[in-house]
Amino acid sequence: MSTSPVLSLEDARLHLASIVGEEFADLRDNSVAVAPADIGQIAETLRFAYDNQIAVTPGGGGTKPGWGNPVAAPIRLSTRRLRSVREHSWHDMTCSVEAGATWSAMQAELARHGQMVALDPLWPDHATVGGIAAVNDSGALRLRYGGLRDLILGMTIVLADGTIAKTGGKVVKNVAGYDLHKLMTGSFGTLGVIAEVNFRLHPIEEHTRTWSVTATDAAQFSPPLRALLDSQIVPSCVQVRVEREQCAVDIRIAAVPHCLDEHADRLEKIFAPLNFTASAEEVWQARQQLFDGDYAVLLKASLLPATICTVLSELLQRAACNGVEIHALAQANGLATIALTAAAEPAAACVEDLRAAVRGSGGSVVALQLPDEVRGRLDVWGCDSDALPLMREIKRRFDSRQILNPGRFVGNI
Amino acid sequence: MLSHTHIAELRAAVGHDGLITAPNQLQTYECDGLTNFRVLPGAVVLPRSAAEVQAVVRVCARHKIPFVSRGAGTGLSGGALPAEGGVVISLARMNRILEVDIANRYVVVEPGVINAHVTQRVAPSGYFYAPDPSSQSVCTIGGNVAENSGGAHCLKYGFTVTHTLALEVVLPNGELVNLGSATLDAPGYDLTGVFVGSEGTLGVATRITLRIVKRPEVVQTLLAAFGSPQAAGQTVSDIIAAGMLPSALEIMDALSIEAAEAAVHAHYPMCGGLLLVELDGPASEVETLMREVRALSEKNGATEIRVAQSDEERMLVWKGRKAAFAAMGRISPNYIVQDGVIPRTALPRVLAEIERMAAAVNLRVANVFHAGDGNLHPLVLYDRSIEGQEEVALDLSYRILHLCVDNGGSITGEHGVGKEKQEALGYMFTEPDLATMQLVRCAFDPENIANPDKVFPRPRLCAEKPGPYTPHPLETAGVAEIF
Repeated sequence: MSTSPVLSLEDARLHLASIVGEEFADLRDNSVAVAPADIGQIAETLRFAYDNQIAVTPGGGGTKPGWGNPVAAPIRLSTRRLRSVREHSWHDMTCSVEAGATWSAMQAELARHGQMVALDPLWPDHATVGGIAAVNDSGALRLRYGGLRDLILGMTIVLADGTIAKTGGKVVKNVAGYDLHKLMTGSFGTLGVIAEVNFRLHPIEEHTRTWSVTATDAAQFSPPLRALLDSQIVPSCVQVRVEREQCAVDIRIAAVPHCLDEHADRLEKIFAPLNFTASAEEVWQARQQLFDGDYAVLLKASLLPATICTVLSELLQRAACNGVEIHALAQANGLATIALTAAAEPAAACVEDLRAAVRGSGGSVVALQLPDEVRGRLDVWGCDSDALPLMREIKRRFDSRQILNPGRFVGNI
Repeated sequence: MLSHTHIAELRAAVGHDGLITAPNQLQTYECDGLTNFRVLPGAVVLPRSAAEVQAVVRVCARHKIPFVSRGAGTGLSGGALPAEGGVVISLARMNRILEVDIANRYVVVEPGVINAHVTQRVAPSGYFYAPDPSSQSVCTIGGNVAENSGGAHCLKYGFTVTHTLALEVVLPNGELVNLGSATLDAPGYDLTGVFVGSEGTLGVATRITLRIVKRPEVVQTLLAAFGSPQAAGQTVSDIIAAGMLPSALEIMDALSIEAAEAAVHAHYPMCGGLLLVELDGPASEVETLMREVRALSEKNGATEIRVAQSDEERMLVWKGRKAAFAAMGRISPNYIVQDGVIPRTALPRVLAEIERMAAAVNLRVANVFHAGDGNLHPLVLYDRSIEGQEEVALDLSYRILHLCVDNGGSITGEHGVGKEKQEALGYMFTEPDLATMQLVRCAFDPENIANPDKVFPRPRLCAEKPGPYTPHPLETAGVAEIF
């Protein structure tokens, strides 16, 4: 989509500058970069775009520009000026945070009272609360604390036509009205701009310990991993790292200090005779390292939890035969990050192969990072849901002029 | 009203024995757990499969007949109240557990499966289904999905939505769609998350994939008697401030204790505020933390502290708590159950204000609440035989909800809005908020036939635009009426 025929990009910039101030509306890379100061200015910006039918890409820290289908919108709306933790009710263990706050800045504020949003997303120093919610990112802590759909209590959102709406609330328990914040979470900015998020909080894990178990083939982890998850140990995080030379399981437990030794003994028994050692906290950077690495393709795969070891082990073996190098990491909840180094053709084949392997069990594979030559021949989302028409209808109702991130989401929504 | 043609089409959809039209039999379905609203439906259908549900909904869609789905009818907000002359779809016959996958920690059930049966089925493998509304021995998973039911243990384990992975849904146009997946983060909008808690207004769930949870190694329940609910409330704040996340934190006031004792003889200590704390997890951790809970209770002046010594004792403690609503019948001819939520820290001032408001109209209010998450269940006691008292009691109960909203809370924590709290929803949310929710409603149900005239303060037509209220063209033309 381009600007409306009667409006040049400079005209658009001038108008937006009248809303947000001259220094916050720039012409850059054939688009207007606009940074509203508050929710009212977000609403005015969107209303202008809506009235003139100009596409808008909302953004936070700009850490995941390649996720989803590419969008070339004439307006890029940044939430970077809305970055305060507006409220931290530590006795109630809730907080309200503006969308442009970086994850780390928010956590630092909450840590003053020993609390946290129990989620460990990618690029926490740069990624923003709104951006993380828009793509529904999550890391290793999700096993114990759930994902954003379990941690977000409410939101303030701005719709495509500038309507400001609140959903949910600030209390942990609330079933009044529809949970629109669940709809917004993971909607990739296609339904509205997230302006503020209310979270439930947890105490910071004070006493934790991490252990690792190694083996040459991830398939060897299947039985002990099942035993661990069936046991009454409550780990905070469990991840499986799969590489050609060596595979590992990492386990983190938070508990009262004198119970940690007891947990270690139990774990060692469960994983015997595999090599079991205490590990450094750095192993929990493994997912981030995959995203920071120089890989051609990065996939988010969602698998049935009991199948992660075998699926990844088989993938590794098949890939090796086709000249594809694989580094993978799976959480025990079934969410995996898979990095490929390969030429375009075998990389695309590898993705299709994996999709075929997991489809039968309801699994999915989304390509978060792809070289341009592969994009054309591979659907980024791999979504064949029979609910796509319903999703399109929701998009139509929320954004009838298709101005918010048009085409970025599943089924080119 | 349903015509002979409608009835014939419904019969064709579910067969002779799946259709109820006799007025005396229809009466069974005229209300749910909120008995002061009653409407006789035009027909009740009892489908046995998703295909039969589809066939019924297609009949409704074709003729624009409103339909209301119904599980066990235990809801407390009138969500399953029939639409006048409409169709009630009872899911009672769709009660099979279809799949149990322990390795992947999920079960697949039909909507008519009773909540407690899910746990019974997976208990031998050491697992349980966490949401535990007080009616769990009779209420159904389909109803739990509609209401996003909670229960005493959702403080730690979350609500129905936390445990719902996927849904098969018959949309209000009769189409069958699959939302979510047994795996996490299925690509696309989180329609499962939106559907759970939508109170039957977006379609009929015909197949539900639920997460199950590993049973903890030990469970310990402590009872602490205090002089007032406020002192019990302070202990709750201290427990949370100490960084603990108990699986349940409940408070009962003197009136509730009296009623529960009369009903089930749970051997509660008689006191002004009874605190019930349940901790679960690895044995050594629970023991350590329980010592802390005990110390905090003593610090706040607990006059008696008991730990349930056996599973039987623990069950009895919970039986008393879960019977608290029904037990009100022992101390009052009639009562209204409310379901407000407040930030935990507002507890002392809200309780004091409720007491003041009740005294001002000469009524008693008993308080039972999920203190950990600030979910109050004020029980307004009254006598219907005294002229005008029911109206006063209803008014008081609604004012208590407004009080919760004024204190930064919600009008409902687990019972749903239903028929009862439609107007209160308008107190909690602004017109643009409600119009935005309506966008979802209209995407699922443009004809407004799925449980119409529930949840929202006033029915809208789907052609309306969100934003400040503007009259619909049909309304302006005098063709349709908005009320």
